[in-house]
This record gives sequence, structure tokens and C-alpha cells, in this order.
Amino acid sequence: MEHVLPPLIQFERVTYRHPGSDKSSPPALNDISLSIDPGEWVAIVGANGSGKTTFARHCNALLLPSHGRVLIAGKDSAVQSSLPQIRAGIGMVFQNPEDQIVATLIEEDTAFGPENLAVLPAEIRARVAAALETVKMSGHKEQLPHLLSAGQKQRVALAGVLAMQPECVIFDESTAMLDPRGRLDVLAEMQALHNRGITVLFITHFMEEAARAERVLALNSGNLVFDGTPKDLFADLHLLNTCGLEQPSTLMLLREIRLLNPQLANLPVDFEQALAQIPQYSGSYQLSPEPSFPDAGEILIDVEGLNHTYLRDTPLAHQSLFDISLKVHSGAAHGFCGATGSGKSTLLQHLNGLYRPQSGKLRIGPYDFNDPHLDIKAVRRFAGLVFQNPEIYFFEQYVGDEIAYGPKNLYGRDGLAKRVRDAMELVGLDFEKFKDRVTYTLSGGEKRKVALAATMALQPRLLILDEPTAGLDPASRRNLHSILKKSQGSGVELILSSHSMGDITELTENLTIVSKGKALRTGNTADLFNDAQLINEASLGQPSIVKLAGVLRARGWPIPQRVVRAEQLFNALRAMNARDSYE
Amino acid sequence: MSEFDFLSRIPLGQYIPTGSIIHRLDPRAKIIMFGALLIAITFTPSYIGLAIGIAALLLALLLSRVPIGFALKGLLAPLPFLLIIAIIQVFFYSSALDPDILIKMGKLNITSAGLLAGAMLLIRFAGLILCLSLMSFITSTSELLQGMTKILSPLNRIGIQTMDFIMIIQVTLRFLPFLAQSAERIAKAQASRGSDWGQKRKGLFNRIRQVIPMVIPLFIISLRRSENLALAMDARAYGVFKYRTSMTELDFSWSDGFAVLISIIVSLAIFFV
Repeated sequence: MEHVLPPLIQFERVTYRHPGSDKSSPPALNDISLSIDPGEWVAIVGANGSGKTTFARHCNALLLPSHGRVLIAGKDSAVQSSLPQIRAGIGMVFQNPEDQIVATLIEEDTAFGPENLAVLPAEIRARVAAALETVKMSGHKEQLPHLLSAGQKQRVALAGVLAMQPECVIFDESTAMLDPRGRLDVLAEMQALHNRGITVLFITHFMEEAARAERVLALNSGNLVFDGTPKDLFADLHLLNTCGLEQPSTLMLLREIRLLNPQLANLPVDFEQALAQIPQYSGSYQLSPEPSFPDAGEILIDVEGLNHTYLRDTPLAHQSLFDISLKVHSGAAHGFCGATGSGKSTLLQHLNGLYRPQSGKLRIGPYDFNDPHLDIKAVRRFAGLVFQNPEIYFFEQYVGDEIAYGPKNLYGRDGLAKRVRDAMELVGLDFEKFKDRVTYTLSGGEKRKVALAATMALQPRLLILDEPTAGLDPASRRNLHSILKKSQGSGVELILSSHSMGDITELTENLTIVSKGKALRTGNTADLFNDAQLINEASLGQPSIVKLAGVLRARGWPIPQRVVRAEQLFNALRAMNARDSYE
Repeated sequence: MSEFDFLSRIPLGQYIPTGSIIHRLDPRAKIIMFGALLIAITFTPSYIGLAIGIAALLLALLLSRVPIGFALKGLLAPLPFLLIIAIIQVFFYSSALDPDILIKMGKLNITSAGLLAGAMLLIRFAGLILCLSLMSFITSTSELLQGMTKILSPLNRIGIQTMDFIMIIQVTLRFLPFLAQSAERIAKAQASRGSDWGQKRKGLFNRIRQVIPMVIPLFIISLRRSENLALAMDARAYGVFKYRTSMTELDFSWSDGFAVLISIIVSLAIFFV
């Protein structure tokens, strides 16, 4: 008889309802059947709340199906006696790196899993050393977890899983909180695991990441709506739309430019190959000399020689800002870009008066921070700050009250209702419909809008956003972009920091690149992104649109220097068409 | 210092690895040593004993190579409370019948015996705080847990499960710096929406209203985090077997025994001198 290996993970008509949920409401997972073989590399995509995490938690018996069954290596996950084998065989890396570190030292945290499996001490030590070596964290083994960067913590979490020597590793949005470099690191680790024959499952909101997998599962409201190759998924625009997903930006760019110019019509699907095959420009269109750039507006923010040291005067002191100098002008949205731990958040918190300069000068609009009589409340009315993941700081039960908290503190009760109403309308939440909703029942995208409205209700001249789109699915991300652009139209000055190159290129005119607590360079966003060496020095990646425009330009295409948005590139190509067909 | 640097305000519970002789002791030895000192300082009736205790702690602090200024800073926060208790003690202890009255204030008298009692109380508490913070400077949480696991392990034999108990302590200790960090972020997020931190309002009701924006998110964040942590522990096979092993094997050497012996002699001296 031929011996056939059973599938590693097999779902047989699995339905799951959250305990206590209403029988009439749709289940979190609805009648899902599929199997995953050893060695596969599978991406799981879907909008916020589509059931991705619930699905993943069925794969290692953290959740058990309400109906149907899950077989892991042929064993029913509901049978208690197979639990040690399932937990050892299928490891999981979670979204928030801080939530999964159990021990107080890196090394011991890595040992936690094998210790639970009652592995012998000498063997544990060998496994821990090997696992930390694999994720390149051996140098940090005796460090305290809360002092590591997010990317490092995520690698530690992976080491903890690897020390259990699993056959399969599941990453539950493990890249969502990381900067581009950290994200690439985790992806490289996935690739390495895959190469070693380990099964990899990962949940992601980034379509570029999903495109790397061999197989994609798409979930929509608990239903498995797609199971196939990334190529097929991204070819089905209708399906992507209904699931709140999008094509990877590289694919979208290539699709559009193929349509826009016959010379580009035959470019291959793969982005790198396409770049290599872009032909020399043969048309006759030439760029008219670029218009001189309008004069910069008044100086809105003036920073000079700013330093900041955390936990100053204690043995744990560490300096996070070194001699920062920069100017932000009005009328041009300003971005801050840099790796995690580069000091962006610390810098943004200075702009709102949460930190006062320890040394150096800081002026925001009319407010000089070195003035001892500075009216801090006036600063906060002038410059509103929206924190990263702002919805975790909600404390009121109802949306209306939450939004009213800020204006009530800073302006009092006069005209409060109008301020709240205006702010809600600005972010696209209907006042009557949402003001009495309970904040915890909102979706991820809606919560983010409430948080934004809570700051907008202060009617700030300056809106400062720290990682505004972190954790949002593609549809909510696009929605937020359009809200921010609209508010800019109504006279609000935008300042934002982001790991997402999409946020930066879509929303900002100017950019400061921050690296290791220093402001490397401030200038036009397009100009900075065109400087490959600078981008590399700051451990960032060039956005694909900038790469594409750069290659086109190098092959003689008349593309203006300052192209960072897809629309700008398409317009340039359209301009050529109009000219060429006219001749 | 910034008004939001919450982490720097809790020197208790912060391990400072300097690699000194004291740091290198076996965790079991550390627990026994400091346990003995703690008991002796708490119960000694003599002020000479207290002086010996403080001297022994300062010597240990020197040996540990932890910056002395930082260690003593931990005493500053509770100092006002200690002073108040000490003053109450002075009056409480002094009676009109005492022949040795220094100051007479109507019904309240201050006697030398009362002053001595107040001073002893102050020094006793300072000693206890110093003892506990020194213990936390030189013992990493993991060492503490390993030591406790080993010391408590005989209980397993009579059927009392110590694994979960140790895990509760471990997670609590792991959460402390995190709670400070969360509180800091919440305070900042609410301050940027115009709340006044630092300005104390009048009246109990207003004071309570003022902390609500801080306490509710802190609760929710903590609950969510403990749920996530529980999931992460589950996923890493915690509790699938009745027993766990440990990466580190402890080695109780002669020098550890010597250190324990010294500490017990010192403790006896504190108590009986």
C-alpha cells in the first residue's frame, strides 16, 4: 500500500460562532473546508473583521470549531491528548510584539516553549542558542524585552516559536506594527522557513506581501471566497473590491501604464522584470521646462538644535533626539519618515508641547517653547496630535462624548455640540447616526475616524498624525487618505509620520528623513525619494512608483522629476499620448 | 525630568545588571539573605541593631556597584508619608508621665523616648525600602522566579502545584514596566486633548472624574493585553504538561553558602544586639 502523508491542516466544514453571540448573526467562520499540505506557503487576506484571525486560531487549537472539525496532522484538534503535539508542531507569532513576551529576559522568553514541553535543560539551551542565532538576536539574549525595537521583539517572538521546532509557523499580522526594514526582515525569515520545508501561514493587510506567497486564501465576512494563486486573486478586480482589498501597488501601476502607452503594452507582470524591459522612449514629446516652484509659505514650525534624553539622570538614560534642526512651511503637508526607534514619535510629541525642549529652540506658529510663560493649552488648540492606534485611549461609552472631551477641556461648553457635529461631518461620520453609538462596537476603520474627529473637534490649525493608517485594511486606508486630503482643502496643515510609503507619497509635499535620532535631510518628498543612497542610509525602501518613474526617466521618457503619486505618472503618460496622437 | 517620564519614578522592580559579586550569587542564596535581613530589620527592638542593618545594606549596595544616588532616590517618594507616621509616633509614644519631657504643648508632650521611637520608625522603614529595592537591583525577575521555584519545589511533593503560582508572579512583574509605559501614553494622549495633568482639582468628586480618562483605558489595555498574553502562552504550550523544565540549572556553591552564613550572622546581630 502506498503511504500518503496526511495534510498538515485540514478543515472539514468548519463553522465558528463567538461564545455568547446571537444565533441570528452571521458566524465568524462559515462552513470552511480546505487542506494545507506540509511545506506550503499560504497568505490569508481579508478586510478587518473578516475572520482571518479566527481562522488562524483554529489551526493550532486555540479555538475549536462550533461545527465541523479541524484535523492537524490527521489528529482531531478537539481531542485533548493531541494538544502537546499540536502546540509543539504549530507555532504562532502574534500581531503585537509586546503581548507575547512572557519572561523578563530575551533568552528565557525563547526558552518558555521548550520548558513547557518539558525538554531537558541542556537541550533547551542548545535550541535557544540556535533559535536566537537564526533570527540574528544572539547579541541581545540578556536584554530586557521592553527596551527592544518592535522589529527586534517580533524576531524574538519568532525565536520563541522556532525553539519548539515546529513544522508550521503562523504569523498573525506580524508585520503590521513594523517599519519597512522590520517588515522585510520578517518576510525574509518566512522565506527562510519556507526554504527549510516548514509550512508558513501568514495574515496580512499588505498585498505586496501576499503576492509573495504560493497560495492565497481570501476571507469575506467569515466565508472563504478565494483559494488559489496570488496571480489569480489579483487578476479578479471585482472580487478584490467586494472584499475591501486592492491590487499590490506594483501590479496596479503596471496595469495602468500598459494601457496608457502602446510602447509599454507588453511589459511582463513581474515588477522587477518589467523595470528591466522598459524600452527607450521613441516619441517626440518633450517636457516643457518645469515650472518654477511656488514660494514656500510662512515658517510654521521652526526647530533648531533640539535634543531629548529619556529617563535623564538615571542609569537607564538614553538619548533619542540629537541636535534636530528643521523648518516646516505652511501650505505644504509635511511627512516624517524613518525606522522604528528613530525618534519620530518623540519629535512629534514635542510639536504638541508634550515634551518641552531639554536643549535647543522650538517654535510652533506663534508659540515659542522657550518662553517660560507659554500657554500650553493654546499650543494644544493650535496643534492637534493624533496618537498611533488612538482608539485604545477611548474612555467614554458613546461616540459623541468621546469626541466632545477635547473641545470641552479647551473651549468649554459653548458651542460644543456644533464643534462635535462639524468634526464628525469632516471625517464622514453621520452625527445623528453615530453620536449615540457605543465606541467599542465600531469597526476598526470607524474607530479611527472617531479618534480623528476627537482631535479635529479642537479645530487645530495644525493636525499632527502619528502612523495614521497603522492596522487598517486597504479600503479604510484609502478612505482615511481622502478624508485627510479634504481637511487639507479646508485649511488644516498636515504633519504626519508613517512607515507606509503610500501614506507619505499620497499625502505629503515635503519630508524629513529621521534616522537614529538625527534629522538626515528635509526637502521635497519626490526629491528625497529619488536619492537612492539617502533612502538606503535611513533603512527605508524606495516606493515602487518612484522606482518606476526613475527607470522611465533613465530610458529617455519625459517624466517630470517630482513624480511621487500614481496619478502624476499617469498624467505625464497621458500628456505624451495627447501630443503623439496630435502629430 | 518630563512630567510624563513615569518609568523613572519606579526604581523598585528595576534590575540593574552590573555583574558584581552580589549579582553573581545563587538566587536561592539571595532570597534567603534578603529574607533574613528583612525579618531582622522589621522586628529588631534595638537601635544599635538597626544601625548595623543599615550599615550592612549600604555595604551590600557598595558591593553591588549600583549607583548609590539612584538607589537612594527610591526613598524620596515615600519620605513624606514616613515623616508623617514618624511624627505621629513621636506624640503617641510620649506621655505626660514620662519624667524626661523635652517640650510641653498642652496635652501633647515630646519626650526623648518618643523622639527615639519616631526616629527608629523612620530608619526602620527606610531600611526596609532600601532592602527591597536593593534586592530588585541585583536579582533579575527570572532569577527570582528560578530561586522561588527551587525553594518551593518540596511543596510539589505534597501535592501543592507551585508552577501556576510562580507564573502569576512572573507575569505580574513583567507587567509592571508595561503598566507604567501605558499610563504614560494614556496621560499624553489625553493631555494632547486638553486634560490637565498635574493640576489637582478640588473636591473628591472632581478628583475622581479627573482620573477616569486615565483609568478606563488602562483597565481595557491591561485586560486586552492579559488576554493576548494568555493566548500567546497557550500557543506556546503552557500547561500541556503538569510540570515544566527549566533552561537554567542552579548551582549552590561554597561562596553562596558563605554569603548566606554571613547574612544570618548579621541578621542575628541586628536582632539581639
